Amino acid sequence: MPADRLAAVWDTTTATLGVAVLALPSDADAPRDSDDLDREETGPDPGPPVLADWSVPVLELPPGAGPPVPPEGTRASPSVAALRAVDALAADLVTRGRLLPAPDEEDGAAGPRLVWRPVLQGPDLVAADTLAAALPPVCRCEQVPGEEPASAAAVVEAALGAAVDARARARVTGTDELATAPDWAHALGDEPVLGDPAPPDGLVAGLRRWAVVGAPHAGPARASFRLDEVVADEFHHALDDPEPLFRLTFALQSAQDPSLTVDADTVWRDPTALRRWLDDPAEVLLGELGRAARVYPELGDALRVPRPGGMDLDLAGAHHFLAHVAADLDRAGFGVLLPAGWRAGPARLGLAAAGGHTERPDGVVDTGAKIGKDDLVDFSWRLAVDGEELSNAEMDALVRAKAPLVRLRGRWVALDPDRLRDGLAFLAERRDRPTVGDVLHLAVTHPDDVPAPLPVESLRLDGELGDLLAGGTTLEPLDTPPGVRATLRPYQRRGLSWLAFLARLRLGGVLADDMGLGKTLQVLALESHERDGTDRADDRGPTLFVCPTSVVSTWRREAERFVPELRVAVHHGAGRAHPHEAADGADLVVTSYGTLVRDTDAFADLAWRRVVLDEAQMVKNNRSRGAKAVRRLDAEHRLALTGTPVENRLAELWSIMDAVNPGMLGSVSAFRERYAVPVERHGRVDVAEDLRRRTRPFLLRRLKTDPTVVDDLPEKIETVERCGLTAEQASLYRVVVDEMLDKLDDVEPGIERRGRVLAAMTKLKQVCDHPALLLHDGSPIGRRSGKIARLEEILGEVLAAGDRALLFTQFAAFGDMLAPHLAARFDTEVAWLHGGMSRRARDTMVERFQRGDGPSLFLLSLRAGGTGITLTAAQHVVHLDRWWNPAVEDQATDRAFRIGQKRTVGVRKLVCAGTLEERIDDLIAGKRELADLAVRDGEDWLTDLSTAELAQVLTLDAEPEEVDDDDGA
Amino acid sequence: MVRETRSGPRFSERFEEFGKRKPVEDGIVARSRRGAIGESWWSGRFLAVLTRLGVGGRLDRGKTYARAGQVIDLAIEPGAVTATVQGSRDEPYRARIGLRVFADEAWDAVLDALAADSWYAAALLAGEVPDDLEDVLARVGLSLFPQGSGELPMDCSCPDWSVPCKHLAAVAYLAAEEFDVDPFALLRWRGRDRATLLAALRDRRDAGAGSPTGLADLLDRFHRPAVPIPDPPGYARAPASDGLLDELPPLEVGGEDVREVLRPLYRRMAEPPA
Repeated sequence: MPADRLAAVWDTTTATLGVAVLALPSDADAPRDSDDLDREETGPDPGPPVLADWSVPVLELPPGAGPPVPPEGTRASPSVAALRAVDALAADLVTRGRLLPAPDEEDGAAGPRLVWRPVLQGPDLVAADTLAAALPPVCRCEQVPGEEPASAAAVVEAALGAAVDARARARVTGTDELATAPDWAHALGDEPVLGDPAPPDGLVAGLRRWAVVGAPHAGPARASFRLDEVVADEFHHALDDPEPLFRLTFALQSAQDPSLTVDADTVWRDPTALRRWLDDPAEVLLGELGRAARVYPELGDALRVPRPGGMDLDLAGAHHFLAHVAADLDRAGFGVLLPAGWRAGPARLGLAAAGGHTERPDGVVDTGAKIGKDDLVDFSWRLAVDGEELSNAEMDALVRAKAPLVRLRGRWVALDPDRLRDGLAFLAERRDRPTVGDVLHLAVTHPDDVPAPLPVESLRLDGELGDLLAGGTTLEPLDTPPGVRATLRPYQRRGLSWLAFLARLRLGGVLADDMGLGKTLQVLALESHERDGTDRADDRGPTLFVCPTSVVSTWRREAERFVPELRVAVHHGAGRAHPHEAADGADLVVTSYGTLVRDTDAFADLAWRRVVLDEAQMVKNNRSRGAKAVRRLDAEHRLALTGTPVENRLAELWSIMDAVNPGMLGSVSAFRERYAVPVERHGRVDVAEDLRRRTRPFLLRRLKTDPTVVDDLPEKIETVERCGLTAEQASLYRVVVDEMLDKLDDVEPGIERRGRVLAAMTKLKQVCDHPALLLHDGSPIGRRSGKIARLEEILGEVLAAGDRALLFTQFAAFGDMLAPHLAARFDTEVAWLHGGMSRRARDTMVERFQRGDGPSLFLLSLRAGGTGITLTAAQHVVHLDRWWNPAVEDQATDRAFRIGQKRTVGVRKLVCAGTLEERIDDLIAGKRELADLAVRDGEDWLTDLSTAELAQVLTLDAEPEEVDDDDGA
Repeated sequence: MVRETRSGPRFSERFEEFGKRKPVEDGIVARSRRGAIGESWWSGRFLAVLTRLGVGGRLDRGKTYARAGQVIDLAIEPGAVTATVQGSRDEPYRARIGLRVFADEAWDAVLDALAADSWYAAALLAGEVPDDLEDVLARVGLSLFPQGSGELPMDCSCPDWSVPCKHLAAVAYLAAEEFDVDPFALLRWRGRDRATLLAALRDRRDAGAGSPTGLADLLDRFHRPAVPIPDPPGYARAPASDGLLDELPPLEVGGEDVREVLRPLYRRMAEPPA
């Protein structure tokens, strides 16, 4: 084809026309067509071609321009693709800066030139060598008179060098960077000759030294081994169960750059190409293979050929390699490449159990009946590999497998043959159906204690049992029992359902809802639910509530208020009888931890339907007297209530769980070793998760922030907390009441009487807060106030949850006392906002609290802090004493409960049981239900009561609650 | 053993026993400090020939000599191990242990067999005489090891008439240690040094590799690549296109560091033209 037609076809403007002598495969009279041309066969077979030189018109392309793209509808010969690949490598080298300036060894007449030389190292060297290996012979066909025909490597090297030089020059020519460079640097742009002015001394020699750095090198080499599965060919596909075949490919790998790897076959085919890297690549490879054969003797057999490229492995051989040899080779310093997804060591074998459908032990399928502990569960065991449960087909494949190497879910895994055999034997034995109790026991038992040869990795149950294992939140909620005088919120109905389910199975539980979510109400609802309707006749004795002294009366009141039909007895205080008397005829017996410790023997003699441990953190120390006393109680069922199942250490959770399900979590020392140490000392999240999973069926904890609870929650939850009085408070209270009633008889109704009543009531409220408030004696706070004792319990929970609280009091003197006391008690800052502060000081205090970096406890005087400010950073409001007008309290509460508050606010009003506080609370509660009743401001309405009425309201009606010092200790 | 019985203990030997050996600086000291010398099975096979000669305490004294560094130099050459050994006299002795080299034709046959089975070269290159190399040699009627003392002519310039004397024994032990670490030394003794041997194997291997490079041999696939043309490397943009400059030694020219002159150009080049 004439050159001008060539140029026209290729449509290139950069090429120039020329003539070259090319050695081409030829017939007698002409070069033979490229075999890429699709020509119809014409004439007889011409016979084999011979190599002959021809003078041929050519297009000469400038270096770096890259071969032009073939015109539409034509196809370029592979030689064009090869040159394009060379050019692409050159462009890439320039982009990555893998090039160095060098003096051109053929000095031109005008002076020495500078050229850009590619720096071929590591993967680039392999890329260049691979290009040389791929270069079609036609690329080497140009004959230069007086020169040997170029080798493929030389052609690639020359083409790469020319392309790198041209591309680098093109990228810097005309740039600001070159314009500001010294004169000599322009020889790297479009003026290659280092001429005028003369290049600085030392430049040429220095650049020549640099060339050593840029010399191709890839460092020392080692053998590497790559294991691949050989894709079965058609012959193997024809077999029913073709055994997979593996190929272990030998290669040379740079020790410095593992990405530089050359297969042994390439080494054998063209060892010269690699000699730029290694002096004797073949000998290095052979020596390395010989060394590897010591580690892997089977390799020796594969070397019994002239040019070993690899070896075929059957399944057993591949398993041996994967399970043992690969690690040995790696340790011996060889490179090893394993199939994708392969993990070192045998896969983790475990057991997975699944079940659900239950049946009564007598075999009667009783739909609708409640599940009992002894019901049988349809249950099946399976193997699990790396935590994934196997299907029947996969297990069958395992049984049939000839080697413990199996293909599972797209990857190869090795299985420990002994463990696999044990696991399969275990599966074969386990045909009997376990009871519900067995299954739940299995769920919570640590793997080491399960009598199975493999760890039980998952337990999947359907139905109610599955709901329980999932944490109980998916159980069908129970309706509010008719005996409960309240409406349970949806999450409380789910809690009740969970409690009832556990109770039916006689399994202990820990109800660990956030405070304010109504744990007490849920337990009372359970008691009512169990006694509703038909079960009433089945009286299994009373339930014993054990709680801190400070809430004994709260429990009693709550029980009387929410489940009035249940008979509640309190066994507490100095005048208490034998617990047997309290238990007689009662549904619920309330006692304190202190009393339980003192009367342990008597309590232990009685049979209890249930023991409920309120504020169960009291038994978090399993060696405490309280915990020991609880363990001695004879109860069919045990529940623990706590807002903080773990305050400081995981062992506390063990204690609480052990108190309700003795022995379930194993011994305390085993627990420490398995869970506490890994989690607390080593921060093992997986272990913590495992513990959570095991205890989940028996521990229900809902947070106020839990989205499933949040929707159920009212915007604020108001509770009245009843506190006991200390003996000191009770006697002071009586003195004040008696004195007032005495004096009132002498006074006419009017201002004076009113004044006396108000004064007395103030005094009584002060006594309820703290005796020192009345006595003005500056005496220490100590443990003289039942209200402060309860307050400390509440605040302990608030702070443990990381929440903030507002505390309102109407007595500035009480705030003055309390602020330093609480600060010391909780080792935290307590803000105290009162009327004596400047506006600015108040604003600063409020701002800090809102910002979140200030104190967590904010004490406010009701008058100074009750209006005008926003304190939505608080989730809790505690009214330390009562203001008789609920509107004033509501206003104060609204400091926290305002626009901007996104969480539920818990509002607590502390009321001393049996005192005027409680009486007035009842009155206010009654009043609030009467919407049309206008409550007068202030406390005036009280003063209008007759002396007899006053006596009724004010007289202390209950035995004072003792505040024990040794609660649960 | 025959010689020993015939010659019996001689005066010269007794004399030598009491003669104090002269210390040698920078002598060749055996690595083995006690017990046997020669860890590998092949040096064991070689030494066994010596042991069968069983020349009284001379082997033990030779061992002591080897450990004391009395051998001044030692060369393993085709056909002979030669050494200079310092005894009790001022003039060191010349000791020589001969071994017949294989004929060239025999070597060709051996090399053909070795080239056909790369296991042998692999083991040798890994520093080991393959245990079945003797089978290959046996097929052409050869053995790597002398079959008896008759194939192991030894002589020493010392006055001791017994063969081997302690000097020859010391040389044999040190040669055995050399064979331990370099099995090619054993082959060199038999006539082919490592480079020659490997080159011969390489030629045979390459000849069989079937990768002709001459254009005339490639006419049937003149326009085709031998292996698929690789895709361009397609590297992501290098994190530092001027990283190569940091590997270079400083080059001060005209008061400027050439590396810093080039650095902006390299950064510029990292941006491919639009």
